[in-house]
Amino acid sequence: MGEETTSGLDDRIIQDTLWECYFDVEKAIHWLYEEQERRVAARERRAIKEREKAQKAAQKKSAQSPGTSGYTTPVSRAMSPVNTPGRSLKKPGASSSKKSGASTPARGGAGLDQRSLDIFALNLGSNEPQPSFDEPLPKVALEREKLLQEARRVLEGDASTDKKAVSLVVIGHVDAGKSTLMGRLLYELGRVDEKTRIANERGSSKAGKSSFSWAWELDGTAEERERGITMDIALQSLATPHRQVTILDAPGHKDFVPNMISGASRADCALLVVDAATGEFEAGFDRGGQTREHLLLVRSLGVSQVVVAVNKLDQVNWDQSRYEEICGLLRSFLTQSGFHPSKTNFVPVAAMLGVNLVNRTGSDAQELSTWYKGATLVDLLDKLDPPVRDITSPLRLPISNVFKGQSSGTGVNGRICGGIVQVGEKLRVLPGDESAIVRSIEVEGASVPWAAAGANATLYLTAIDPIHLSIGSVLCPPSDIVPLATVFTARVIVFDIQLPITAGASVELFHHSRDVPATISKLITTLDRASGAVTKKKPRVLSKGTSAEVEITLRAGTLSGPSAVARPIPLEPFSSNKDMGRVLVRRGGETISAGIVLDILG
Amino acid sequence: MKLVNKFVDKNGTGHVTLRPEDDEDMWHLYNLIQQGDLVRAPAIRRVQNVSTTGSVESHRVRLNLTLQVSRVEFLSSSAPASSADQTPSNAGSSAVPLPSAALHISGPVTSENQHVRLGAFHTLDIESHRDVRIEKVEGWDSIALSRVEESCVPGRGAEVGAVVCGEGTAAFCLLSQHLTLITHRISVPIPRKASATGASQHEKAMTKFYATLYDAFVRHIPYSTPSLRAIVFASPGWVRDGVFDWMLGEASRRGDKILTKALREKALRVHISSPHVHSLVEVLKSPEIVSQLKETKFAREGVVLDKFFKMLGVDEMRAWYGPDHVFLAADRGAIGTLLISDDLFRASDPESRKKYVALVEGAQQKGAEVVIFSSMHESGQQLNQLTGIAAILTFPLDVEVVEAEEREAREAEEQKKQEEERDTESGAG
Repeated sequence: MGEETTSGLDDRIIQDTLWECYFDVEKAIHWLYEEQERRVAARERRAIKEREKAQKAAQKKSAQSPGTSGYTTPVSRAMSPVNTPGRSLKKPGASSSKKSGASTPARGGAGLDQRSLDIFALNLGSNEPQPSFDEPLPKVALEREKLLQEARRVLEGDASTDKKAVSLVVIGHVDAGKSTLMGRLLYELGRVDEKTRIANERGSSKAGKSSFSWAWELDGTAEERERGITMDIALQSLATPHRQVTILDAPGHKDFVPNMISGASRADCALLVVDAATGEFEAGFDRGGQTREHLLLVRSLGVSQVVVAVNKLDQVNWDQSRYEEICGLLRSFLTQSGFHPSKTNFVPVAAMLGVNLVNRTGSDAQELSTWYKGATLVDLLDKLDPPVRDITSPLRLPISNVFKGQSSGTGVNGRICGGIVQVGEKLRVLPGDESAIVRSIEVEGASVPWAAAGANATLYLTAIDPIHLSIGSVLCPPSDIVPLATVFTARVIVFDIQLPITAGASVELFHHSRDVPATISKLITTLDRASGAVTKKKPRVLSKGTSAEVEITLRAGTLSGPSAVARPIPLEPFSSNKDMGRVLVRRGGETISAGIVLDILG
Repeated sequence: MKLVNKFVDKNGTGHVTLRPEDDEDMWHLYNLIQQGDLVRAPAIRRVQNVSTTGSVESHRVRLNLTLQVSRVEFLSSSAPASSADQTPSNAGSSAVPLPSAALHISGPVTSENQHVRLGAFHTLDIESHRDVRIEKVEGWDSIALSRVEESCVPGRGAEVGAVVCGEGTAAFCLLSQHLTLITHRISVPIPRKASATGASQHEKAMTKFYATLYDAFVRHIPYSTPSLRAIVFASPGWVRDGVFDWMLGEASRRGDKILTKALREKALRVHISSPHVHSLVEVLKSPEIVSQLKETKFAREGVVLDKFFKMLGVDEMRAWYGPDHVFLAADRGAIGTLLISDDLFRASDPESRKKYVALVEGAQQKGAEVVIFSSMHESGQQLNQLTGIAAILTFPLDVEVVEAEEREAREAEEQKKQEEERDTESGAG
C-alpha cells in the first residue's frame, strides 16, 4: 500500500483511491468499483489540464509526457515519499467530479490555483500535495471516515437547500468605510436590531462622532470608538439567500496591518472597500496606501475572489465617470496582481445611506438607478464561490484568539486550515508539549459536533492550562503534529519596495496570527517570474519585482550574542498544507514580500 | 574605565593597566583582550597542600595572576525572557544597577609564584574596580589604542532607557554607548476583541498589562539617575500613549514624585512599526532622538547604517558589502564611509584582525570616515547579519566589472609568472 512506485495504471488508480480514503482498504475497494467509470472521464479531463500545465511548467516537468504524465514520480523533494505531480491541482477537480459529477466551483478553484502559481512564478513541480501518512490508526480511521463522509456531504451540500459557507475579509484603506459598510449591511440584513442601532446612534452622537454610528456595531472596544478607527479584526456573520458569510472586518490603518493579516489568513474571499471621494481614493491607492498593500496581502494569502465596493459615491453626486475611472484603475491593478477578471466584481454603494447594499429602492438610490443596472452588493456576495476544502489532510488550526470560556475551559478561535475536528478529540498544542481535549465546538454561534476545514470555529478546550495556549499556536492531532521551524527556505516574490533586500536583512515574518523577528539569511537564487527558471545564483540584492528563493532564519529576541536561540514556530511546506505554508515578510511597517515555504531546514 | 598606567613604546609593544567600573567597561575589555595576550589581574585560587602525613589542606588565596589568554567570554546581563520576577538585586529602584555583565578570561599561568605553578590553567573572573593589566605580545595596534582612549573618556554615560511595547508585550532596554541591555521582558496574554459586546475581557487584560508594565518599569529602568538622558516609550499604534498615561496616572496616585518628574522631563514617545526589539533601530532614527542624542555613538551608528541601506536602494553601485568586495573597493580608494563591526576585530585569528586593522588604517589615511559598530547594539547586529562589513563608496563601481578586472589581473600575473619560469628554464637550458 505504501509503495512508492507502481507500474500499471490500475495500480495507480487504486493507490490514488487509497489516498483519498486514507488507506482504508474496504472503503477504497468500494469506491473503486463505484467510481471507476467516472474516474475515466475525470482522467481525461485531467489529462487536458495536465497538458495546459505542462506548457507552463518548468523544464523538468515538461519533459514528462502528457496524458499519463501526472502519474509518474518526479525527482521529488524529501518530504513526501509519494509525490505525484499535478495532483494537488487536479485533486479538487477530480475529487469533486467523483463525488457529485461536475461541480464548477471546484474546477474554478483549480484554475485559480494555477494562476496563483503564476504570480508566484512557481515551478509547478514543487506545488505538490499531502504528506504521506505512514500508518493510520485503524480505530480512528473508521470513525474518521464516517466523519469525513458526513463532512463531505455537508460541504458539497445541495445548493437549493443548504447555504454554503464562505468567509469574507473586508479590506481597504483607512477610513474607506469598511466598518460602516458592514454595520449598515448587518442592519439591512436584520442582524442588528433597531434597539442596538439607536443605542449606537445615540452613543456616537454623544461622543461627537455621529458619522461612526454604523461602525460602532463592529468597533466594540472603547479605544476604537474613541479614536474612530478599527484596530482589530471584528468577526460577524450574515446570511444571504444562498450563502452563510463570515465577515472579518479588518483594520485599515497601517499600524494594524498585522491584525489585518491575521484576519485575511482566515478568509476565502475579500471585499475591497474604496473611497470614491475626490483625492481619497488616490490617497489609498497611491504608494504607501493600504488599498494596494491589502490587495497584495490577500492575494498572497490565497484569496482569489474579490468584490470591490466603490463607497461614498453619494459624495461625488453619483458621478458615473468617477465610478468608471476608479474601476478602470483598480481593474488593471487587480489583473496585474494576479486576480482573474472573472473573479473580480465591482459595485457602487453608499454605505451611510444604505444604497445598493441589498436593493436600490428609496429616494437616495434614484440617481444611481439612472445609470447602474447591475447587481447589488448582497447579490454579489451571494455568488461567491467557496473554495474546495481539504478535509482529508491532518487537522491544522492556527489560533487567532484565546479567551476565557463562559464556565471552565478556555476558548480558542481560529480557522481550520485543513482536516476536521470533533468534540472529544485530543489535540496537541504547538509549540509546546501540551495537549488538550475539545469540549465543545462553536461555528457561527451555534454548537456543532464537528467542524471541517474552512470553518472559522471556536473550540472550548479542557484539560489544559490556558497559559500554554497563545495566539499563533497551532492545534493539531497528536498523531500528526505540525513541524516546528527556525530555518526554512521559501520562494518569495518581492513587492514594490524602495530599499532592496540584502542577505541578512532584518524583517518581521508573518504567519497567520503570529509575527516574529527574522532575517533573510541567504539569497539562494533569483528566478524568472514566468517560467520559474533560475536566472542568477547567489544574488547580492533582491530588488523590487523579483522572484527568488531565499533562506529565512528566525531571530532570537535578545541581543545577547550567539547563545540566544530563536523559538521555533509551527510551519509547514506549501506542498503539504497550502494555508500553513504561506508567509509574509514585512520590514519597517511595509510589506516587502510574500512567499511560500519550500523546505524546513531546522 | 580608569586608565591606571600605560606604557606603549613606538613599536606598539607594552602594557596598559585599566580599572573597569561598569558593564560597558567589561565590554571594552572583552574587545581589547585577544587570544595570546598576557593579562594580569587579581584572582582567587583554591590551593591544596598535601602534608607529609598525606592529609590534604585546602584554602583559598587571593593573589595576582598573569595568564596567556586562550579564551575570553563575555556574558551580558540580559534578563531571561518571560521570567515573572528577577531576584531583587537592589531594592532601591533609583540606585544605579550593579554591573552584572561578566567577563571570564582563561589560559595558562605565565608567571610562577609560591601558590601556582607555571602553566597551570586558571580562569580569571574580572571584577569591577580591580586593576587589569593587558600586555600585547603582538603589539598594540591603532584600533586597540583608540579603544583604550575611548573607554577612558569620563562622563560618556549618556544612557537611554527604552520600553518597546506592543499590545501585551514589552521589552525594557537600556542603551549606553556600546551596549544595549534588555533588562526585562513581559508578556501578558490579551484576548482580542470578540464582538461588539464582549470587549470587557480585552480591556481587563489591558489593565493588567499596564499594571505589570508599571511594576517592571520601576524595577528595571533607573529613571532617577541623572545619567539617564531619556526614557523612550515606543510602540506601533497607540499603545505607548496608553502606557504613558497609565504610568503618569499611577505614579501620581501612588505619590511617586520622582517618577512623575522623570516621566515629565525625560519621556519621549516614538512611533515604530513593530513591537519587536529590533525596532530600536527605528527609535534611534526618529527625529526626536536624533536631535537629543546627536553625538552619542548608538545614534550615529543608526544614522550611518540607515544611510548605507538608502544608498543601496538609490545607487547599488555605491553601496558594497562583504569582506571581499569591501577590500576590492579599498584597493581602488573608493571608500567614503566604512562600516565595520567590532566582531571582526575580535576574530580569534590574529591574521584576519591585522587585515581589518590595515583596512581601517588605510581608509582613514585616505580621508574616509570609519564607523566601528558595537555588536551589542541592534544596528551592529544588523551589520553583523550583513557580513559585518560594508562601505559607502565615493563613486559608483560595478561589482562585476571590478571582479572581472581582478580576475584578468590575476590571470595576467600568472601568465607572467609562467613566462618568467619559462624564461629562467630556457635560460638555464
